[in-house]
Amino acid sequence: MVLCGPSGCGKTTLLRHLKRELKPVGTCEGAIWYKGQAMDELTPQTAAEDIGMVFQNPEAQIVMDTVWHELAFSMENMGYSPTVMRSRLAEIAGLFGLEPLLYKPVHELSGGQKQLLNLASVLLLRPKLLLLDEPTSQLDPVAAREFIHMLHRLNEEMSMTVIISEHRLEEVFPIADRVLLMEEGSLKAEGTPSELVQRIGHEEQQKQLSYLPTASRLFLALSPPEERVAQQSIPLTVREGKRWLHGQLALLKNYGHESAVENIVTVTDSFRKEQETLLKCQEVTFRYQKEGPDILSKLTLNLYRNEVLTILGGNGAGKSTLLYLMAGLSKPQRGRITLAKGVTAGYLAQNPLLYFSQDTVKEELLHMARYAGLSEADSQREIAKLLDIFQLHEVYDSHPLDISGGQQQKVALAMVLLLTPDILLLDEPTKGLDPGAKERLASLLKLLREDGKSIVLVTHDVEFAAKYATRCAMLFDGGITAEGPPDVFFSANYFYTTVVNRIVRDWLPQALTIEDVT
Amino acid sequence: MSNGFRSVHPSVALLYYVGLLLFATLLFHPLFLLTELAAVLSLLLLQGQGRHLLRGLPFYLLMAGSVVLWNPLFSHRGSHILFYAFDQPITLEAILYGLMMMLVLLTIMFVFISYNFTMTTDKFMYLFGTVAPKSALLILMTIRFVPLFQRRLGQITLIQSSRGISVSSGKLRKRMSDGMTLLKVLLTWSLEEALQTADSMKARGYGIRKRSTYGIFKLDRRDIITLICLAGSGMLTLIFSMQGYGMVEIYPRLKTPVYTGGDAVMYGSFCMFLLIPVGLEIKEKWLWRSFERRDFPSVIPIKKGPHYMTSRSR
Repeated sequence: MVLCGPSGCGKTTLLRHLKRELKPVGTCEGAIWYKGQAMDELTPQTAAEDIGMVFQNPEAQIVMDTVWHELAFSMENMGYSPTVMRSRLAEIAGLFGLEPLLYKPVHELSGGQKQLLNLASVLLLRPKLLLLDEPTSQLDPVAAREFIHMLHRLNEEMSMTVIISEHRLEEVFPIADRVLLMEEGSLKAEGTPSELVQRIGHEEQQKQLSYLPTASRLFLALSPPEERVAQQSIPLTVREGKRWLHGQLALLKNYGHESAVENIVTVTDSFRKEQETLLKCQEVTFRYQKEGPDILSKLTLNLYRNEVLTILGGNGAGKSTLLYLMAGLSKPQRGRITLAKGVTAGYLAQNPLLYFSQDTVKEELLHMARYAGLSEADSQREIAKLLDIFQLHEVYDSHPLDISGGQQQKVALAMVLLLTPDILLLDEPTKGLDPGAKERLASLLKLLREDGKSIVLVTHDVEFAAKYATRCAMLFDGGITAEGPPDVFFSANYFYTTVVNRIVRDWLPQALTIEDVT
Repeated sequence: MSNGFRSVHPSVALLYYVGLLLFATLLFHPLFLLTELAAVLSLLLLQGQGRHLLRGLPFYLLMAGSVVLWNPLFSHRGSHILFYAFDQPITLEAILYGLMMMLVLLTIMFVFISYNFTMTTDKFMYLFGTVAPKSALLILMTIRFVPLFQRRLGQITLIQSSRGISVSSGKLRKRMSDGMTLLKVLLTWSLEEALQTADSMKARGYGIRKRSTYGIFKLDRRDIITLICLAGSGMLTLIFSMQGYGMVEIYPRLKTPVYTGGDAVMYGSFCMFLLIPVGLEIKEKWLWRSFERRDFPSVIPIKKGPHYMTSRSR
């Protein structure tokens, strides 16, 4: 069962009500029944054993410092005997492939491994019902897919009931039995994935449309309304999408008159000559420790005025490190990073909490303005302008830790912007955002770009990069292996490309987004 | 990674180290102390800690050596006055006492090096957890926080320096207040996460029942035998020591030590206590040596030297 809906619609609250130990404080009406028994009447032991829950943040859920101890923790709580613990641990470690990690300290694991550890640790109590609160929102796509596959396996092989709330529905949607769409604390729609697609397609609501998997959205965008109702099976995956499209090629707009790839390349080349270079990385080599491996080696990259450059790459490829260096937070051992004259760079880290040190948002912004050397009147004007752009008026007087994650990010971004940088360096700005918030972020970036700023984004989000970037670069093995405008960049890739491109590439190799096709 | 004495059950290792410390302080006798020092030293060398030891040696010698120097200068007890320094009588007893103290100090320091190598944190916590599960849990969670906070503080320092909050520039007063700000950021962030940790603990049934402990250590036959031998020889030594054997009287007046049969038995059991782990290490070394030497009894004989293609295979 999949729960979806925008941030703050009550998904977490609902899940927490299903887990008795974590029931939120407040007034509560109505009743929840578990196996014909009221939730409040369960013994503490069944409540803890039968219902397991995994949360959003992989790091914060971990209690112990080594993997085996973390796994044993929940069983120790239940007071199992050592023999029971040993056999269960062996079983789960085998299922999850955790044996090589068993004696490792937890902080050496990657985010995906941590989240798998959390899941394994909950499963050791053999729950009948598994609750997951946006478990993949902090993971990169590969780790997220692995996690979802594991859930699918548990559901298939052990017939475990899984309730998951998610923003990233591309993988979860096709394997779900039931999808619930929530909005503002109430159930908006419910049904099998196909039913839900049909209903949302019928109502034509743009907001809810963004929750559907791409294949379904493509289907809704292309097929004429009268045909939608007749269609029994709605494509949910790339394979189904491709199969459906095969019979409907006439629907594709540009099919038949393809734009030549070479044209685009020459256009971008001339574009580049006109634009001035803001930042130059020349053969940059960097490592963290003397004996450590090279994170970046002989990397060369230029950034031009007025562009959105996305840097893609696998986990640990050194994307964040590159941003660090560009921001001047550390120096490369070899090579040079030069900013054009009078150009400054502002850096926004993944975790906005790092930026906050004052008691209210207002003080944060004022402090930053003082540091930027703005006069009293100037800073008032600048702050007012930023508050308008970011719609932060209602949180202006609250504590930065009391506001939502998306708002925290905006405040941090506003703080960076007070320094009036010409280059903005953003580290994974789309992580954990729901589709609506992503679109708002994109329009924000567009606004900033029109303001004459260049933006460098580091991201895992291929769809986002394809839609909003002007140039993409692939970081691999310490260097830039490929770069180009999104259509050229992605159509050259086979696997690392958008879902739409994977569906339509046989007919329209350049199309990346739904807008490109219709 | 763990072989020889390192592979024994934590309780055995703990018993050994407690015994070593006890005897180092209890048996005030040059022969016993020297033997213990030699045993610990050989254990350290066998465990491959020679380099580690060498690095810290100047410090240890300085610490222990200073006692030899200071003791006669400050203590004037004893009846054999050798000479006067700065109008202070220097006695033979005081010098000997200082030397003995040096031996004790060196032994204790070496015991701790070996202890740190053998008894890792998880072993200690396992033992501690069986005695006091709740405090052990608390300590373990705290231990995890130390490196975690260090890493977080590093990140915070880096980011906050981009908004002018830094401890490495400006006036002392500003630096101090900035340092506090950095700590405040760390604290708020960590508390925020601690709430989620608490949720996760509660969700996994923390506190609804008496906790049991999962141990990764098994007490096998070898461990039991070692434990019995250590305990037996240790007890014997202890009993003799309480009877007054194995003691040299230095103050108030140096007496020539008299060796009796009792002393010999005590020394024997003491040596046995000391050398059991050394024996384990040597056995392990021998085992691997012979293991590597042994020819593989497989069908195809392994040829030594370079391989040439024979006429048949050609």
